[in-house]
Amino acid sequence: MQQLLDLVRQAHDSGDYQPLVDLIPYARVLGVQCECYGEEIIFRLPANADNIGNPTIPAIHGGVIASFMELTALFQLTLQLPQPGLAKIIDFSLDYMRAGLDRDTFAICDVSRQGRRVGNCSVLAWQERKSKPIAQARAHFLLDAGAASQIMS
Amino acid sequence: MNQAEFAGRCTRFLNAQPHMRKLGIRLISAEKGKAVLVLPVQPQLMSAVLDTYLHGGVLTTLVDAASSVSTLCALERFELCPTLDLRIDHMRTPVQSQPLYVSAECYRVTRSVLFTRASVYQEDAERPVAYAIATFMRPEGGQTDSAFSRLIEGGDDATVA
Repeated sequence: MQQLLDLVRQAHDSGDYQPLVDLIPYARVLGVQCECYGEEIIFRLPANADNIGNPTIPAIHGGVIASFMELTALFQLTLQLPQPGLAKIIDFSLDYMRAGLDRDTFAICDVSRQGRRVGNCSVLAWQERKSKPIAQARAHFLLDAGAASQIMS
Repeated sequence: MNQAEFAGRCTRFLNAQPHMRKLGIRLISAEKGKAVLVLPVQPQLMSAVLDTYLHGGVLTTLVDAASSVSTLCALERFELCPTLDLRIDHMRTPVQSQPLYVSAECYRVTRSVLFTRASVYQEDAERPVAYAIATFMRPEGGQTDSAFSRLIEGGDDATVA
């Protein structure tokens, strides 16, 4: 029986976060990666032909950028405030600032806790440099989503 | 434009995007200002170890796509309108054993901005799993990248879906 808390501990110990990221099938489809620098965690979405929306620019699909940022918030929460189950999203709000071109995209997430049960996330995504973000997002998550989101096997 | 013309435009728009093909997102119906899309059940989105949060993130992609497609049904000519902002409220957790549907409506068109709303559901449209609103920016002077426009507006058979 593999528990989420064990996975988080193993990831922190080994520095390999991929088993945790790959828990979410869509994160694997997109190709999300996670790199840890000291206490800073940076999420990377490598350029991927399957993630393109507009093929003539070409530009990454807007939904891909949004989902990448939502997953960034989920993984940051999981790593920073480990719970027995994955946090459950309540709402997600995104501002697009620039087109995401067909190259690597990066994201970081700041978490602050709102009371005992809610995590408040703010996510920034960029490509060439952090001071030129392509999008920023805010999301609320229910931290203890209870038995429903326990890892089963 | 009639329903078949809107449907043809929306289908070409979806098929032109590699990520929409990757997920198999397709059009169910289109009419003036409205579109319904579906994300079919598929092995690449199924998790053997998680019994919930099945659509982690992918619901967001579906909503973004549907909102964008609804704008195509609200404009006489194709215009590529970038998303300004998108907000999603999650009311229920979708299950991985059923397709995910989204019904989107572009309810207001101004000279510069398009406003959309959408609801996401599975078995029962009256029990949505999520609601979303979004805004889109119309290109200045109606100018849209011509290569992409040609792809979407098609040729003489533009009405064939």
